[in-house]
Amino acid sequence: MAFLALQLLIRRALLAVPILLCVSALVFLVLRLLPADPIAMSVPPGATQADYDQLRISFGLDRSLPEQYLIWLGKLLQGDFGGSIFFRRPVMELVAKALPATLELVGLGFLLGIVIGISGGLAMFMTRGRWGEQVLDGSTTVMMAIPEFLWAILLILFLGVVLPLFPFIGRLAPDLTLPVPLTGFLILDSALSLRVDLLASVLAHMALPAFALAIGIAPLLMRVLRSSLLETIHEDYVTQARLRGVSESRIVIRHAFPNAALPTLSLIGVQGGFMFGGTVLVEMIFAYPGLGNLMIDAVRNHDLPVIQAVALIYCVLVLGINAVVDVVYLAVNPRLRLKGRPA
Amino acid sequence: MVLQARNLTVSMQSGSTRIDVLRDVSFSLAPRKVLGLVGESGAGKSMIGRVISRNLPKQFSIGSGNLSFAGQDLVGSSTESLSALLGDRIAFVPQEPLTALNPLMTVARQFVEHLDRIGVARDHQPQRMAQALREVRLLDPDRVLASYPFQLSGGMCQRVLIAIAFASHPALVVADEPTTALDVSTQATIVQIMRGLQRDHDTALLFITHDLRLAAHVCDEILVLYAGEVVEHGPARAIATAPQHPYTRALQAANPSPSGPLTRLPSLPDNMPGLAGFASLQGCRFAPRCPAAEPACHTQVPALVQTVPGHAVRCPLTDRQQAAAKPALLQTARADSASEVILEARNLSKYFEATRNWFGRREGPGLHAVRPMDFVVRAGEFVGVVGESGSGKSTLARLLMGLETPTSGQISLDGTLLDADTAETRRLRLDTLQMVFQDPQSALNPRRSVEELVTQVMESRMTRLPPEERRQRAKDLLNETGLSPELIDRYPSQLSGGQKQRVNIARALCVTPRLLIADEIVSGLDVSVQAQILNLLLDLKAQREIGLVFISHDLSVVRYLCASMIVMRHGKVVEQGPTEQIFADPQHAYTKALFAAAPPADLDHPWPPEQASLS
Repeated sequence: MAFLALQLLIRRALLAVPILLCVSALVFLVLRLLPADPIAMSVPPGATQADYDQLRISFGLDRSLPEQYLIWLGKLLQGDFGGSIFFRRPVMELVAKALPATLELVGLGFLLGIVIGISGGLAMFMTRGRWGEQVLDGSTTVMMAIPEFLWAILLILFLGVVLPLFPFIGRLAPDLTLPVPLTGFLILDSALSLRVDLLASVLAHMALPAFALAIGIAPLLMRVLRSSLLETIHEDYVTQARLRGVSESRIVIRHAFPNAALPTLSLIGVQGGFMFGGTVLVEMIFAYPGLGNLMIDAVRNHDLPVIQAVALIYCVLVLGINAVVDVVYLAVNPRLRLKGRPA
Repeated sequence: MVLQARNLTVSMQSGSTRIDVLRDVSFSLAPRKVLGLVGESGAGKSMIGRVISRNLPKQFSIGSGNLSFAGQDLVGSSTESLSALLGDRIAFVPQEPLTALNPLMTVARQFVEHLDRIGVARDHQPQRMAQALREVRLLDPDRVLASYPFQLSGGMCQRVLIAIAFASHPALVVADEPTTALDVSTQATIVQIMRGLQRDHDTALLFITHDLRLAAHVCDEILVLYAGEVVEHGPARAIATAPQHPYTRALQAANPSPSGPLTRLPSLPDNMPGLAGFASLQGCRFAPRCPAAEPACHTQVPALVQTVPGHAVRCPLTDRQQAAAKPALLQTARADSASEVILEARNLSKYFEATRNWFGRREGPGLHAVRPMDFVVRAGEFVGVVGESGSGKSTLARLLMGLETPTSGQISLDGTLLDADTAETRRLRLDTLQMVFQDPQSALNPRRSVEELVTQVMESRMTRLPPEERRQRAKDLLNETGLSPELIDRYPSQLSGGQKQRVNIARALCVTPRLLIADEIVSGLDVSVQAQILNLLLDLKAQREIGLVFISHDLSVVRYLCASMIVMRHGKVVEQGPTEQIFADPQHAYTKALFAAAPPADLDHPWPPEQASLS
């Protein structure tokens, strides 16, 4: 198993190289084709043409496109994303601050989405043919019909303003400060520094955005899980278990669910990719200082190096999530690990 | 009595009408006895198992009568008391062993679940499991227990399921077609194991099957069902040797015999109506197909009457049609060595390379699906290819059809060597050869009408035909395959299984091929429909001088149809020659074992044989 998983991860990593090269080239090219002028956005008013030209040269924007790309790629391979034109800081520094925030948020959103999706799917299955299923089915439709950024706004309105239960700006209450930033993951940092008040504030700040993200994947998971449960419940091995007198709850939990979860699991891999896309707007709405917000700032200011870096990181994250799902799939499906019967 | 049914009636609510899908069924099953429920698909034989487990489909309910287990009412009892019986006192052996075990759980985990359920202490479980698996002749219990179902063969899965079923020493085991999905040799082993366990533990066995000959060997008593009614009930030997009801007789006569003189199989017209059709059957439900029916049969429901003590028949006319006309002797067309050769295969073989992993290393050895073989098929010759699963017989069909590229060897058609895959050879192949697929259900596009289906091949021809001509061709084909012209505008869902297989054959005949390749085309059909299809193929041979490569696992069917045969095992031809000669004097040990494994027509010949295992 460990060997197979390693083999799979190595294979994925090797495949990731050409994918990332293509994405980087594409992003680079598209950004250069747009009529965006990062220098014009960042020169102070009243600067002369000479000042402007000098800045262009200092950022290397006077060189040919392939040259620019190769320089960027070469630096990238040394772990250098270059400098932000707008923030005047190394891109690496900006990303290092924003990435843990996004990972934390997506992780929580993912967890919440899976919990809601699986328990909702099971509930829909258990109440099949009765009004409970109708209610749940209706709620999935509502969840899917409203896009997640609109959910973010609705959540702020109802759970932040009308009923002020949750904070909805930033990652931490303004009157609290973290003693030392250890990892950048605030949940981890506050737990490590044994500050319950900090942890509570961090979680409260993440609650609404994470929930908004979870709504993006939960209803689909619910529906797929329900329909594959409806299929597996008619499989021969389920009937046979019933004929052995196995209780109905045990049949669902031990026999039907693990088999029905397989298609749901592959869906989680696909949805994981969409969730990163969802962070862009959700982070902006909640003023949450993650990659999404960084991306929006960068786009607003035509900050090409930052846009390139963040796009590439999103790509790496999506590939990473898919690799993780593949490994989990390998772990739960023995058919992928073991050889079948001899022919 | 372990199991007793008294006037049991199961009804289906369909709109405002109630249809009796099982009518007035009575029987009793004593400990240590085996009762066979025999009938074609849809006759209601599985319904009794479903009544026991209270697993009736929606809209089905017990109309009247009762069913009791060891004196306990199964119909009226609470769900809890029934659940307590299932798995413990009443156990089930399924039809499809490969899908009846949870694919994500090891055998051990599923066995443990069951032992927990029947209250075996945890520390006794390993020993109990090992012993139970040895009893079903799984000689390496540790390896089997650690395996997932997909790592085991169908026969091994069935043995595991039997071991689980008998673990609690149940009073009753219900086995619904437990060997249908298995190879002949495996079938013999499974029957042997089940009978052994059943005798050792004084278990009563309810054996459900479509195979009257198999039931005659396995059971003490047999209940023959037709359209939800018991038509005949009596000692197994009496039913098999001297059936009295016209349906039982037809069932027995329709099954080709593995020995004795070859006669044309008498086949019943049409097929058994579906459940919805039961409602329109006034009187005797068999009357519309009965060769001896009289006007009264269509209006009055005959009673089940004992003719001799212990043997009851639901037909008042049993003595009337004793002297049925002896069916005509079959004209077994010898392979005429003078007729021209249509297909010639020389040194034909197929080797599947092992898949390579990412570093180019082969994962395991490759597979010699077909080892080099030679054979010819002449005009009007039927060649049978016999073998068990994994013998390479289906790969052979795919090679002939050009769906696989041979690893070595050559195929010539009508004297032309198919040495390259060109448009010309492909056209020649399609004009000369046509394939009939095994499962008409999935081979026929459900969105096309019969007319379109049977003439489908004309669509790909360069010449566009006027619609009238196409319709006429479809009518001719229906006529030729014994289908009513009224069916021309129907869709596959409106056809019965036998009709679908006829459409499937008609479609292959559209280009007037010289040779048909048929891969297990009757294995999914009921015996009476099988007889119709077999006779249809014989008629086609007589009319068209068509050749046939007939792939089958059923020796009797091959004997009935084919003048020459090829026996394959693990991709290798072990025996090849005239069918008559091979049946009379098989040379290879495998052929002999294959013959011994099939239940013989002669009931005095003990079956299953002591050494049933071929592996």
